[in-house]
Amino acid sequence: MGCVADGDGAELIVSYGARRLAPHEQAEFELHVRSCARCREHAAAQRAVWSALDEWPGITPSEDFDQNLYRRIAMEEQQAWWRCLWPDTWSPRAAVPVVLACSALIAAFLLNGPPLRSRAEPQFQMEQVEHALDDMDLLKQLSVESH
Amino acid sequence: MNPDGIGTQAPQPSWNTRVNNCVAGLAARQGDAELMLRVRGGDQASFGLLLERHRAPVIRFLDRMVQSQAVAEELAQEVFLRVYKSRGTYEPAAKFTTWLFRIATHLGLNWIRDGKNEKGQESLDEKTAEGTIKQVLDRGRTVEQELVYQAKLREVRGAIESLPAKQRAAVLMHKYEEMEYSEIANVLRCSESAVKSLLFRAYEHLRSRLAHLA
Repeated sequence: MGCVADGDGAELIVSYGARRLAPHEQAEFELHVRSCARCREHAAAQRAVWSALDEWPGITPSEDFDQNLYRRIAMEEQQAWWRCLWPDTWSPRAAVPVVLACSALIAAFLLNGPPLRSRAEPQFQMEQVEHALDDMDLLKQLSVESH
Repeated sequence: MNPDGIGTQAPQPSWNTRVNNCVAGLAARQGDAELMLRVRGGDQASFGLLLERHRAPVIRFLDRMVQSQAVAEELAQEVFLRVYKSRGTYEPAAKFTTWLFRIATHLGLNWIRDGKNEKGQESLDEKTAEGTIKQVLDRGRTVEQELVYQAKLREVRGAIESLPAKQRAAVLMHKYEEMEYSEIANVLRCSESAVKSLLFRAYEHLRSRLAHLA
């Protein structure tokens, strides 16, 4: 049987105080305690601590605990959808230079790039129409002269 | 048989009540890990059952850790939120309560480490002052008895609060949650012998603080 005086009875004292010793262990320990003043003192003190701790009742959870929790879960799930697009690792500070660089590239392309095809097409068509009209005038003159 | 010819039996519970009782009985027999696996599969009702089962112990544990009901409930919500968020990756490798109390202990220890306990103590004092008269009426004690009880309770709370945070967590799990050494060791991620040593030192300290209450 372990004894506090030997230094190996600590666990026994704690378990005795907690009333968690098996019946045969308890009987053995109580037999030892009768002849060991130090263990007797420790065991009584441990039981006293245990009783004092019993005085502290547990609280009752608030009635709206579940409601608040489910609200937080719902909020969390909504945020989770946004996080797919904007992960936690992204920060606006890192995004600013990227956005600026993209803007500069687009501006440079618009200012110095080749003329847009859509603008060139109407000019080309107008020239064609003018040429066609000139040709038709010429043909008319020729037909008048031939008659 | 009474004059109306109707037996004087107690009224039978409705069919719905009997079905609900049966479901509740089955749920009680289902393991936490099994319920958590169902939550992983998208079963919200199983999460409700887990919450019903473990809400009170987690809140009580955290309340004794941080000594403030408001903070304890806030932290407990965080605990269950984390459980819900990690449902997709849950594997029943350890006992569910071990995992649950590991999260709770981690949050409680962080809260204490961050030095937020001054605020908690203030709210505790407020709550004690407000609640005293109501408690006197509720428990049928005289005012004098209630004052003695409150003084004793303050000493117990003070003694627990004076423990180093890890010892405090170990004592609360051992004393109030009735956990075995091995389970406490798993929660605190240390050896069983380390837990025994933590507990012995903690109870030594409590003996010196509370000896006069015996």
